[in-house]
Amino acid sequence: MSADKSSLVPSFVVFQVGTRRVALPRDCVAELIASPTLFSFPHTTPLISGVVLRRGRIVPVLDLGPGVLGAPSPPARFFLVVERHISNSSERCAIPVQGECELVAGIMLPAAGQDEFVTGTLALNDEQIDVLDLEKAIAAGARSEAEPILAAEALS
Amino acid sequence: MTQPVTSSLAPRDTRPREQVAVFSIAQYSFVISAASIQEIRSTDSLGGTVVDLDRPVLRKVRHIVERDARSYYVVSGYEHFHLPASRPTTVLILRSAPVAVLVDRIEEMAEMRVLLALPQSFRGEELTWYRGLTVLDRKVLPVANPLGFLTGRELLQLEEQNPGLLQAAATALHERERV
Repeated sequence: MSADKSSLVPSFVVFQVGTRRVALPRDCVAELIASPTLFSFPHTTPLISGVVLRRGRIVPVLDLGPGVLGAPSPPARFFLVVERHISNSSERCAIPVQGECELVAGIMLPAAGQDEFVTGTLALNDEQIDVLDLEKAIAAGARSEAEPILAAEALS
Repeated sequence: MTQPVTSSLAPRDTRPREQVAVFSIAQYSFVISAASIQEIRSTDSLGGTVVDLDRPVLRKVRHIVERDARSYYVVSGYEHFHLPASRPTTVLILRSAPVAVLVDRIEEMAEMRVLLALPQSFRGEELTWYRGLTVLDRKVLPVANPLGFLTGRELLQLEEQNPGLLQAAATALHERERV
């Protein structure tokens, strides 16, 4: 990944969640890591599949699949480490991604679709890439994972 | 044979250490402070000291066990952590709460040198279940909170639905032993 730092055009990291190519502002992304050991343990927070140990820090692994695709994303070899902003502080999380990531510079256009977690689009080689609002994408995924549970509880 | 001498200039590891027991339930391993455990028993050895709850208000608590004039609610480890049914062979009788936890087995005793807070992304019941996370043998393991197996509210619920049972069970078992 490389980009001209002197450029005034904002840059974005384009990555793939399952079958969908999406982007995040460059500022949100810390690094891309390959094949980390995933440690899992019981918990009840939606979307979290476990944690990875990165430079002595515990980094939770959050699947954007349920929010972005409507289904969990397939097993991944690469994880994009992103910065979340929770309750006035920030925390690094790892997002499983499929395939390669690209760093691109471009002007974000207003979002055209219905997804509330899409803040805009990038035109990239005749392809429209949705730029995500990370927190909204996580919230949408958490809701979609919680809905089947609520439905099951209502039926029981 | 000459023993290696540690240089006095080498920085000493001053991090606090804590003796812990590593136990497993289903496919997962957990850590719990050794100081919080009163006794570790095989489930086979509990036999006659187990009393069924009249009203099992919590799915994870169906029995009381009596040990040394004290009674403890028996918490199913796999029910507590919402895991598939497992085969508990060991019970951890806790010191700081009237709780005995059914676990599959004790894996080892170890020394915990680091206790890391759960990342803020965790928002669920795990905030009650765990004191945090630790790293043992390059594995990240959750550190069980001994007071998290039964919260104050759950203890109150059990006591309300089975009033005096904890005391009554202890008394009855003592009298049975005296006869």
